[in-house]
Amino acid sequence: MNRSLLFAKRNLTELSRDVLSYIFCIAFPVVMLIVMSVLNASIPKEAHMTVFRIDNLSGGILVFGQTFVMLFTAVLVATDKSTSFLMRLYASPMKSRHFIHGYIIPMLMISVVQSLVTIVSSLLIAGITGVNLKLPGLLLAVFTSLPSALMFISIGLIFGTLFNEKSAPGLCSVIISLGSFLGGVFFDAEGVGGVMYTICKCMPFIYCTKTARASIRLELDWESFGLPFVIISLTALVFMSLAIAVFRSRMKADR
Amino acid sequence: MEKTKDMIVLEQLSKSYGRKKAVDGIDLRVREGEMLALLGVNGAGKTTTIKMLCCLSTPDGGHAMINGFDTVKDKDKVKALVGISTQDTAIARNLTVEENLSFMAGITLDADKKTVKERVEQIIAEFKLEEVRRTKSSKLSGGWQRRLSIAMAIIGDPKVILLDEPTLGLDVLARRELWKAIEKIKKEHTIILTTHYMEEAEALADRIAIMIAGRIVMTGTLEELEEKTGRKGLENVFVSVAEGV
Repeated sequence: MNRSLLFAKRNLTELSRDVLSYIFCIAFPVVMLIVMSVLNASIPKEAHMTVFRIDNLSGGILVFGQTFVMLFTAVLVATDKSTSFLMRLYASPMKSRHFIHGYIIPMLMISVVQSLVTIVSSLLIAGITGVNLKLPGLLLAVFTSLPSALMFISIGLIFGTLFNEKSAPGLCSVIISLGSFLGGVFFDAEGVGGVMYTICKCMPFIYCTKTARASIRLELDWESFGLPFVIISLTALVFMSLAIAVFRSRMKADR
Repeated sequence: MEKTKDMIVLEQLSKSYGRKKAVDGIDLRVREGEMLALLGVNGAGKTTTIKMLCCLSTPDGGHAMINGFDTVKDKDKVKALVGISTQDTAIARNLTVEENLSFMAGITLDADKKTVKERVEQIIAEFKLEEVRRTKSSKLSGGWQRRLSIAMAIIGDPKVILLDEPTLGLDVLARRELWKAIEKIKKEHTIILTTHYMEEAEALADRIAIMIAGRIVMTGTLEELEEKTGRKGLENVFVSVAEGV
């Protein structure tokens, strides 16, 4: 079997045997969907607050879940480094491309499974709350969210490569907070407007949620979907290139 | 002893970290099928030497050759010839013993599934890992983890094996068990074993190189070292050499 696939299989097995992976990557987004939906039901209609309505919430939670995949990427790489497992592999015939593929492929798979769990949960909640949620839109969001998943995985790879297993999760927490806040996952950034929205537009996270939400609503015009999708795809490419460069330089560095 | 070729050749090999000379122009030859113990206290430069031999670190001066291949210019060829067991166990903790071996066999042998499976079975039998083959590596005792680590180093059938402090931190019984495993692989491989346990070098090695402050100050069989220093026993030899530097 190809070395990249062997390494990907090892990483997937490693994560699948860690109960925290299920809690944070699968259960936590579902719990957040339920909690926020309960919260939404408590908000009076006169408030005209729709950010927690399931058709808005599902796109936000889909992106929020990806930030935890970033955390697990960082922890896996940092742990491999600290236990000298990576050193053993650096001394083997494995090339840098095998490592990069081996870390990214299983994380993308986990991200897709997480998105599928999120859309199934969203459909159930939409059925209960009487919101019209379209399955084609939800399925489309699973695919159009892949660039943002790639971006978060790349950030995790960078943190895991550069920092140890204690520092990397801390830095990921900062990105998780920034991602959910400046990405408008739990508030209507566009509605708030002003300086806040300008700051949000300077960060990549808002384009992740915009892409997911537009896909779910099947609003596929340039303004709602096209532009945010292009921006986040390019950002993902930049972060992935950076992750490859950082990993390669650390691999070549003296240990 | 039958005349064999030099499998490992170090010539004026040097490495510095900042102002500190970790390895200071060492010359060393290890013959094919020989086990050499690199003996020295912590910080003597043993691990740095090992890292240069397996292409994890680049020398500042001199060169190291494995089976005629330069560790800097022919990295891919050297990596295919060398297996390493590091000071840390370097195992995938959530994988079972069998999965760890299968993974390492897959990436080092680059062979079909059947060959990989056969090799895994062979190593499990050789290293007596049958009773723990389905145990998660993180649940193994220190002794079993070290044994697995060495088995992972050897599964790709390398010509050269580098064992960096393989029994560090093990109790006396676990150490003796591991010695037996090392004795078994000794016949078919060229091995460099770094250690600061005198009795380990004495029990396992064909030749001993004493390394102090980045330099190899004396090399030979135990008998040769005893003759050179006029002391009996490796500990006395080592103290005599260390005090004389």
